[in-house]
Amino acid sequence: MTTTPAAAPAPTNLRSVPLVKRFLTLTWMIIGLMSAALVVFAFVQPSITVDTLVTGGMWALMAAGLALVFGVMNISNFAHGEFFMIGSLVAYFVFTPIQNAMYDDPTGTSLLKIFGPFAGMIAAVAVGFLVGAVLEVVLFRRLRRVSKDQWVMNTFLLTAGLSVVLVNGDQLVFGTDFRGVSRYWDVPPVRIIGTSVSVDRIAAFVIAIVTILLFSAFLRRSQTGRAMRAVAQDEAGAQMAGISLNRIFIITMGLSSALAALAGAALLWLYPSSPTVGQQPLQLAWFVVILAGLGNVQGAIIGAFIVSMLQTLSVYYIGVGWVDVLPTLFLILILLFKPSGLFGSEVKGVWEQ
Amino acid sequence: MLKLTAIEAGYDLLQVLWGVDLHVEEGEFVAILGPNGAGKTTTLRSIAGFVPPIRGSVTFRGKELRGTLPYQISRSGIGFVSESLNLFPAMSIYENLLVGAYSVKDKKAVASTMDTVFELFPRLLERRDQLAGTLSGGERKMLAIGRGLMPRPSLLLVDEPSLGLAPMPTLATFEALKTLRARGMTILLVEQNVNTTLQIVDRAYVLEQGRIVLEGTGAELLGNTHVQEAYLGI
Amino acid sequence: MATVTDMTAPTRTQAKAFARRRMIFATVLVAIVLVLPFIPPFTGQDYQRFLITGALMAAYAVAFDFTAGYIDIVNFGLAAFVGLGAYTSGLLAVDYGISPWIGMVAGAFVAGVVGLLTGMLTLRLRGMYAAVMAWFVGLALMGLVRNVPDITRGSLGLSTPQLLNTSNNLPYYYVIVALLFITIGVLMMVIRSKIGLAFRAIGQNLAAAKASGINPTRYLVINFTLSCAFAGLLGGFYAHYYGILTPDVMATSHTVEILAVAYIGGRGTLWGPAVIAFPLMVITGLLQAQLASLPGLELVLYGLLLILVMVFRPSGFAGLVASLSNRLWPARPEAPTASAPTP
Repeated sequence: MTTTPAAAPAPTNLRSVPLVKRFLTLTWMIIGLMSAALVVFAFVQPSITVDTLVTGGMWALMAAGLALVFGVMNISNFAHGEFFMIGSLVAYFVFTPIQNAMYDDPTGTSLLKIFGPFAGMIAAVAVGFLVGAVLEVVLFRRLRRVSKDQWVMNTFLLTAGLSVVLVNGDQLVFGTDFRGVSRYWDVPPVRIIGTSVSVDRIAAFVIAIVTILLFSAFLRRSQTGRAMRAVAQDEAGAQMAGISLNRIFIITMGLSSALAALAGAALLWLYPSSPTVGQQPLQLAWFVVILAGLGNVQGAIIGAFIVSMLQTLSVYYIGVGWVDVLPTLFLILILLFKPSGLFGSEVKGVWEQ
Repeated sequence: MLKLTAIEAGYDLLQVLWGVDLHVEEGEFVAILGPNGAGKTTTLRSIAGFVPPIRGSVTFRGKELRGTLPYQISRSGIGFVSESLNLFPAMSIYENLLVGAYSVKDKKAVASTMDTVFELFPRLLERRDQLAGTLSGGERKMLAIGRGLMPRPSLLLVDEPSLGLAPMPTLATFEALKTLRARGMTILLVEQNVNTTLQIVDRAYVLEQGRIVLEGTGAELLGNTHVQEAYLGI
Repeated sequence: MATVTDMTAPTRTQAKAFARRRMIFATVLVAIVLVLPFIPPFTGQDYQRFLITGALMAAYAVAFDFTAGYIDIVNFGLAAFVGLGAYTSGLLAVDYGISPWIGMVAGAFVAGVVGLLTGMLTLRLRGMYAAVMAWFVGLALMGLVRNVPDITRGSLGLSTPQLLNTSNNLPYYYVIVALLFITIGVLMMVIRSKIGLAFRAIGQNLAAAKASGINPTRYLVINFTLSCAFAGLLGGFYAHYYGILTPDVMATSHTVEILAVAYIGGRGTLWGPAVIAFPLMVITGLLQAQLASLPGLELVLYGLLLILVMVFRPSGFAGLVASLSNRLWPARPEAPTASAPTP
């Protein structure tokens, strides 16, 4: 019974590394390169900077949720894109009647015109949370009872099945039509750094940044957020501290899918709802999470902007269809040098699962 | 206060405990001794709910614990400091302690308990913002005990505090346990270090092959021939 | 720690009886597959088309299970390798007039080579990383095919010549059944060989396999390459049976379909996925034909079935059969190939 205590994955004490060396790593060079590119493009081709920031913010919401469920619950969620789809669907059905009311009221500056779009997004967040929470109780809790050794892979397969059910269920009920809105806010675009940017884009970026800040503050400062991190780092230790795993799992799954649903709702004007609308966001979110290191939420947020930039550059300079090809080559290159992702992974034993 | 009756427990196909009876009274310092693989750790783990007993009963202050989850047991007033400590390596000492107080809603109470822990282990206060994963072995033990104290338990289960420690930190850990005992904490300790343990505890059990074979006060067991032959090498 | 020894070690006669029963079982299955198209309602052209889909899916699922069930790597990009074989064979036939039969072999070769490269790059990674990397490689391959319409005709579709000079489904059925038997036969042989032993050792306990001197990456790559090559071979059949190729054959949803069949059939058995594919595809075909107003219903059922299997019966259909026959013949030893790696 003398098992040596599991060697903690000792994070190097940052203070002991010289400042210059700390930033001379591949990770920081890529981050620096990207930031520089963002600034340069702001003068040369401003729409690249704008697009990178807008979609990057939304992929950050997607990827943060995906990283969160992996970190806390070791679930590799293949149905994460379907939460995006649910969010866009809910936003469509809630916002369309509001939009009609907005147009019926030609007198200008009613509150509805400013706050109307938020109703759709809030509804999407609420439904997203509920769907995630119900899935945890109905599916994952059951799977947890029968599956121990192969847990990570089994969650991947289970959610693959779930994704098929949700995509085709959506198609059965609502058909293959695209349901979108031309815009959320009916106001002329704003001129920023020499390019005109629609208010919807600005709003999407602001929503993403505010949500990310709130979400990080929740993880860092609140007792529940701290408990979630505790569960991610040591499940048994968390239980010793009186934390109910089931409660944390429900909140985690709910939050993760709420974030994806919010992304779907906030991007409704760009990605009209359809059964397969979640596929590309899913691929990109997974891409980000693998690039950043499985389960690393902060890394996922930074990684989302890197991937968004790659995506935007591919579209601008090579063609829409190459979005899947070039970033993959980049990812393979990165993983050859840094197999656990740019920011490393804190999740124990991922390699053996 | 705590009473185990005919506890049988184990892992998958391997049964480890074959009917363990023991009890701990309010304010007592009790130890479980025995060779490797006797089931000492399993006994603590089944009290804490991590290895649910197959048969038998565990009562704490008259309430049956069998069938309740680890977090419920923790909230009912039993603190557990495990062998592997189960700290949160990427959190600071301060945050580890805060998570320990997860079930305590009163912020003032949390602050005052934390002061008590820092007073007991001044080292932890010095390194308050250092990540748990970067601490030394002795500091990690202190933090684990400190975290176990945060919900203000009435019974503390401590598994092999001397494991993997040099003599000096071991001594410090035992001193801390003695201080806690003097302040009225009830402690159930599992140890390999028989001589030292028997000198500081009120009572002890000897566990061999999943059964209690001996029971007595520290002094009685120190004088027992079986204990002397098997554990003290006299 | 004491290890649990096998208390019910089979006696020699029991093992013999078991082997005989397995032979009978296999013979009956083969016979059913061979005579099926002469038993109503399978004599109809529609039903025979369902049977062909069934046999094709069975072969895909076997190739998938060879990797997922034995070395515990989920090839999430398998459909892309099917597509690679299909396009290779199709383009050779269209652009150079090369016989589809040779094209199929060439397709297998190309898919195998790309599989080898993919495996060498990604199989240093384990579990989730390998699965997701295979997925990304698959997506990249599909993107590539879609983006060179000058060569592949892209989404418009590539019309490919037929494999046989007939529109009757029956001869095609026997071709694909032959391919299915070849796939199962070759992969079974590999698994029974020394290499197969290494596969299982790696799939069950990587660390122990390493300790006993097995170079895991080499075996993982061999396995992955073989699986991809067979996927490419089957892709060739796909191309010259349906006569039209679009990049959608490489889509992730296609992989998920194969994966669902393999897991519903029971991983790590080869025969489980092969057997279950027939009824599943016939039911799918019937649902598609009968309920054209409810598109996607069959896929919803698929997904639900996969979820139910994952939650309630991780050993799938093969596990069900194994426990049933254990109940019928209680003395029977545990089938060596029929136990899923899940404890």
